[in-house]
Amino acid sequence: MRAYRFRVPVQENSLRKRLNIRMAFAHRTFANRRFFKRAFRVVGVIAVVWVLACGVLYDIMRRPPEAFARVMARIPGPFAFLVLPFETLWMRARAGHLQVGDPAPDFSLIKLDKSATVQLSALTAQGRPAVLIFGSYT
Amino acid sequence: MVYITEAHPSDVWQMQSNIKDEVVFASPKDDEERALVAGACVRKLGIQIPAVLDEFGNSTEQAYTGWPDRLYLIDATGHVAYKSKPGPFGFKSEELGAALARLVN
Repeated sequence: MRAYRFRVPVQENSLRKRLNIRMAFAHRTFANRRFFKRAFRVVGVIAVVWVLACGVLYDIMRRPPEAFARVMARIPGPFAFLVLPFETLWMRARAGHLQVGDPAPDFSLIKLDKSATVQLSALTAQGRPAVLIFGSYT
Repeated sequence: MVYITEAHPSDVWQMQSNIKDEVVFASPKDDEERALVAGACVRKLGIQIPAVLDEFGNSTEQAYTGWPDRLYLIDATGHVAYKSKPGPFGFKSEELGAALARLVN
């Protein structure tokens, strides 16, 4: 700011006035530039932190369910769900490798009432499609 | 229904909505405990479709990336005809219904 201070002859009123206006403008421009520089830096830091947080959350989502859940239990809900793009990251992280058209991985699992074992390939071998609903009570 | 690892067990990631609904279960420690929680689920929700238990090593869940919930349709040749996006956001029964209608018709 001091660089812009200099004496202007008193008698040159109009010139002084014009110079003052110019100096004020330069001062303001300089201040604006500093403000924007600082704001840009702050926004930049926030953006970097946000991207890093997204990366960390994505990495956590790719861990086994229990490990993911243990971490999530410690993260405040609004941060993960409102500040970070939780759903977008989740859809990618948990997409899985199986694609439509792929052979369905076979399994042989016991029925809940323990009356029998269900094998997927045995069902489809009978020419029946199968709906699989994965889930739990909680 | 393939009963898999709990989504929100009380000792790991408790949800307020589950407390409200009185669905509070700690993580099952073995197949037997998983079967007990699954049994409670089937009884209280009145699930009538066949239910199977994923083994405690979660091999089926891992093969299908089924946690916390997900829908699949397997066609009669044993291929994946429909795969929902991961739940809970991608768990859309109407999409499954449409896929099933396409497959049958």
